[in-house]
Formats: sequence, structure tokens, C-alpha cells
Amino acid sequence: MSIMDHNGGSVIAMVGKDCVAIASDLRLGDRALSISSNFQRIFPITDRIYVGLPGLGTDVATLRERFRFRVNMYTIKEEREIEPETFAHLVSSTLYEHRFGPYFIEPVMAGMSKTPSGGYKPFIAATDLIGCLNFAKDFVVAGTASSKLYGVAEGLWEPDLEPEDLFETISQTLLNAADRDAFSGWGAIVHIITKDKIITRTLKGRMD
Amino acid sequence: MNTFLERYSSTNAVSQLKRAQRLAEEEDEFTDSAWGSQAGYGQLMNGPPSFTVPNVPDPSSFLRLHTDDHADPNCRIKIQHGTTTLAFRFQGGVIVAVDSRATAGSYIASGTVKKVIEINPYLLGTMAGGAADCQYWETYLGMHCRLHELRNRERISVSAASKYLSNLVYSYKGMGLSMGTMICGWDKTGPAIFYVDSDGTRLKGDLFSVGSGSTFAYGVLDQGYRWDLTDAEAQELGRRSIYAAGHRDAFSGNTCNLYHVKENGWEFIANYDISKLHYDGPGDVAGSPGHGYGYGIRVQGRSSANPPEATAAA
Amino acid sequence: METSFAITGKGYVLMAADTTAARSIVKMKTDEDKIKTLSPHLLMAYSGEPGDTVQFAEYVERNIRLYQIRNVYALRPAAAASWIRRSLAESLRSRKPYSVNLLLGGYDTSSYNPQLFWIDYLGTMTEVPFAAHGYGAYFALSLLDRYHDPSASLEEGLDTLRRCIDEVSKRLVVTPGKYKVKIVDKDGVREIEL
Repeated sequence: MSIMDHNGGSVIAMVGKDCVAIASDLRLGDRALSISSNFQRIFPITDRIYVGLPGLGTDVATLRERFRFRVNMYTIKEEREIEPETFAHLVSSTLYEHRFGPYFIEPVMAGMSKTPSGGYKPFIAATDLIGCLNFAKDFVVAGTASSKLYGVAEGLWEPDLEPEDLFETISQTLLNAADRDAFSGWGAIVHIITKDKIITRTLKGRMD
Repeated sequence: MNTFLERYSSTNAVSQLKRAQRLAEEEDEFTDSAWGSQAGYGQLMNGPPSFTVPNVPDPSSFLRLHTDDHADPNCRIKIQHGTTTLAFRFQGGVIVAVDSRATAGSYIASGTVKKVIEINPYLLGTMAGGAADCQYWETYLGMHCRLHELRNRERISVSAASKYLSNLVYSYKGMGLSMGTMICGWDKTGPAIFYVDSDGTRLKGDLFSVGSGSTFAYGVLDQGYRWDLTDAEAQELGRRSIYAAGHRDAFSGNTCNLYHVKENGWEFIANYDISKLHYDGPGDVAGSPGHGYGYGIRVQGRSSANPPEATAAA
Repeated sequence: METSFAITGKGYVLMAADTTAARSIVKMKTDEDKIKTLSPHLLMAYSGEPGDTVQFAEYVERNIRLYQIRNVYALRPAAAASWIRRSLAESLRSRKPYSVNLLLGGYDTSSYNPQLFWIDYLGTMTEVPFAAHGYGAYFALSLLDRYHDPSASLEEGLDTLRRCIDEVSKRLVVTPGKYKVKIVDKDGVREIEL
């Protein structure tokens, strides 16, 4: 059994029409034993960026603290909010710094990035545990249920979904994938990010 | 023919000598001279205690190669580690309750496994360990129970049936059978449960739980168990215990199958969705608490904060 | 085998830890106190690798005390938990990591909330209404799902704790003999005879 499966948990992010969504389950386990059904692994970075950190529980907390510190330093130095693309590279280099003793986390990022014309466009990305960036145009997945998430998302996702439809798609994808994964589940949380607001909903999931 | 036999027999002189040499190799303190002084057989008498292992150079890698490791679901022997099964005896008969999840690594291969095997109208067997092993041998047991009936003009006792199974699996000991089962039924002596496993253990008892989720089931079962439980209370306890295991154990869950063995044979009570039990409870059935089993649902609205009166009012 | 439990109730956290110190197959001591008082409203039950446990617990104890001396006020439970978690997480990637599992129970005197944190040797932390470490967890958690009440009076809480201890004594192959029970509430920390 891999160390990546120790605490369980999965994250998925999807692109919609002028919106992005990021969702995660809420289980924290100690291998087969489930400990908590309220373990948050998605964190806000700015008003328009969220990051999901599936993997080893201890590193979820450590990396969250690290990213918060680095983003704060960036904001103070640059006197502006960080852009999703920049944040993705910050995540990548933070992970690669530990190339030979990595954090056991595969981050997933979702946000709305500013365009030169003043508008916003959806952005999602994921990296592996040593920081290899993967920018996708449709969806990204990570965690113990990742293989199952790929299958369901491949079937359900379509381009240009409105926020409410995107919410339905990402929720169904996550819940159905988690139901086939022993280490994910115990409830779920979904964030929909649009240019001017964030909708957060907690889902009722299977509790076994 | 003789040379052929000798080569494969474990008692011939050559293999005995080989074994002695192997033991001597393990014992580092013995020098070469000591080896000669004992005529080559010294170690046979006072060698270190050892476990019986497959006769291959690296027994543990051999075992790993052929058994279901978490990392490799494609191996030869599938050990179904995710299970919760329980059975208990009480004044109204026997309650048998099981979950229905089958896992291969972290993948939930099925959520609708039948883990209670209906041997005949008076006997039930539960399934933990190798699914095929349990299914095959308990069906085979059913065949012999029927033959017993035809030969002796009376039903086989639970004790005899379980002993038959126990002897059977014991004869295959060491060959990779994997089963942990409870044979439950009602005979002349009343309700009875026997735990039988592939090690050859056979135990008579009032209350058993088997599988990866068994500890969680015990936690609820032990606290609620009494001999004089009513039928409704007993069924509720069985259901609640399987829920507890399904909730806490990643390898158990999906649904709960509940059986009740009474004087004139077993009765299938119902199949319950464990997630539904969590949120809504078992529904309108005898013994139901009237709300979901889930912790959050049970304690909804209660808090452990104790602000002083003045603050609470403000 | 080492086992510790903790449950919250109306305005308190109850903690119980077994009192055996074992080495190999021998019980070296049967009245070892494995629950430390970190500050006036904070308790920590620790278990794990012998040696590491006491070393780490004392390190935490002294640092929490130092903070209080420097700042007059003690850290609130969530802040203390966060610091302790970080210490464990940093130790995890050092040459010789501490192998210590913790239950941290405290009473937050400003929000009037009892709080309980489950922390393992990796530095995984989560806030829970009840928790357990060791093999006892496999029996106690399902039991507490069924019987725990966050608004229970002290007497009811002790009854629930007794259930856990009885269950573990009944089912666990190598049972810890005695338990030390401590409580933290608005009045501070006390030891309780079960």
C-alpha cells in the first residue's frame, strides 16, 4: 500500500463557461480506519484561486501553511494579487524544491485569470508530487480515486457549461467516483468560482 | 522408479542431509570444524526452532507473488480482505447480518455481494476470506447435509455440519484455502452458531463477528447484547452493528443483508442500504430508532459549548 | 497494548490513557501517567515509541510553558494544537523523527468551547468530538458513534468512557490493565477516579 493512500481523499477541478469548479471529498482515514468526515483539503488562495491538496494528511496542512506564507510574501512584494498562472508555478517550484524527499501531495488548482482586455478566463492545473505542471482545458483529477474520476469525468464533462450545470457535473463525477473508491467519500464539498462570486456547497455523500 | 520417488520425497537421505546443511548455514556461530565433528547430523537435533515455509529459496517473496497484495490486484490468489459479518444467538433464535462490499486494492469491485450462503432451509453460512472457497465448500456442505438427511431420516445438527466443514477445510490446510465462516442454524438442541475457519479452528459460541470490520461491529454488538433480546431488538442490533462497521471500515459497506433463524428455518428479513441507514435509519420496521444511525444525525442540535448564562442570553 | 481515549461533553473534555509501560513482553510499570498538563486548560495524552513519547511530551510541555511565561496568556487549544502538529511534521522529515501519537484536549476559556484534536505521528491533525489511539480505537470509535453525546453531563460522559474501557478489556488480546482519567473544563484540569 502506497503512502499516497494512507489518508485517502481525492480532488477534481473542471472548466465551465466563464467559471471553474473544484471539488473534494471530506474523508480523513488512517488506512482502512476512517477518522474524520470533515477534513478540508481545498483552500482559498485569493478571491479567485482555490487549491486542492489530495495526498498525505500531514502534508496537506504543511503545504497549506507554506503556500499561504509564500502567497502573502508575493502580495506584499508585488503589491497586487497573484494570478492563477503565477500561483501554479509557485506551487510547482515549491514542490520541486523537495525533489529528493517530496511532499506526498498532488495539488489541483482552479481559478479565474485576468485577460489583458480586463475580462476573466477560466484556469485549471494540476501537478504531480514533484511539481510537473499539467495545464488542462477540460478537467484535472488527483487522489486515491483519480483513476475512477477520469472515467466518470470523461463521460460527463462537456464544454461551456453554465455554473449551475458545471456544479451538477462535477458533483456527480466526484460522488460516483468516490463510491467506487474505498479511501474516498464520507461527504464532499464543491466550490464554483465565477469572476465575481464563489458558490460553496457541501454535498451529502455515501457514508461508508 | 525408486530414484524418481527418492528425488521428490522429503524423507530420503539426500534431502535430509540438505536440510541439515541448510540449518547449519543459518547457525552462524558454528565453524566448519564443528560441522564435521557432529558427523553432519548434529544440527538435526539441536537446530534453531523454525516455521514451516514453502520449500523455495525465498519463501516470503514466493508468498507475495501468489497472494493479493494491496499493490497488485492481478495476482493469483485473491484474498478478499474487506468484509464484516456477524451472527449472534439469543432467546428468539439466531441473527445473521453481513455487509456486501468486495474490494480489490482500493477499488470497490462490487457493492452487491451475497455474503450469506443459504446452505439449506435450516442452515446459513457466512462468507469472509476467499469468496470462491466459501461458496464452493458451503454448497458442497449443503449436498452432504442432504445426504445425511436421506441416510439417517433426520436433519443434521449444526454441530455435525460445522464439524464436517471444519474437517474438510483442515484436510486442505497449508494449500491456500482462505475462509472465515459462521455456520448458523436451528437443530434439536435449539439455535446454534459455530465459527469455522481455514486454519481448522472450530468454535461454538453465542456471538461472533468476522472480517476487517469485525472490531467495529463488536464495539456496538457487545454493548447492546443480552440473551433476552426481543426479535425486533435483536434485528435492530444486527443492523446497527453492520452499519457501524460499514461506516468506519473503508473495506466494508454498501448494503446490509439481515437474516433471522427461527425454529422452522431461516427467514430473510431485508436488504438495507448502509448510507440510507446513516441518514434515514432502517425505515418503518420493528426496532427502528426512528432516525438515522449517523452520529451527526443522532446528535443534531446538541453542542458541547457551555457559555455562562449571561453570555448565552446576549 | 497502548490505548488512549478522549471524549467531549458539555463544557469538558475527558481523557483516558492506559498506565502500563511495557518493554518486550514485560510490563515494567503499571502506574505510568501518560497524560500531561500543558497549560491551565490543556491536556495531552501521548503514546507511541518508548523514549520518543516522554521526550517529545516534555519538549512540548516546556515550550507551551515558555510561551505562557513570555506572553502571560497561555496558547488557546487550537493554537497549541497547530504548533504541536507543526513540530511533529517538521520532525517527520528530520534524521530521527519522533514516533508519537497525541490526543489534545482543551477548554477554550474565551469561546467557552471544549476542543479535542486527534494528531498522529506523521503530523496529521483533525478536530473531532471523540477520538482514540492504539488498537482500542478499532473497538471504541464505532461504540462512540453509537453512544457519544456532545452535550452529556460529566456522569454520563464517564459512563460512556467506562463502556469504551470495558469493551477494550473484553475484546483486545493484550489488555491494558488500569487507566488514568483526567478532565479539563472551565475550572482547569483534574484527575478523576473512574
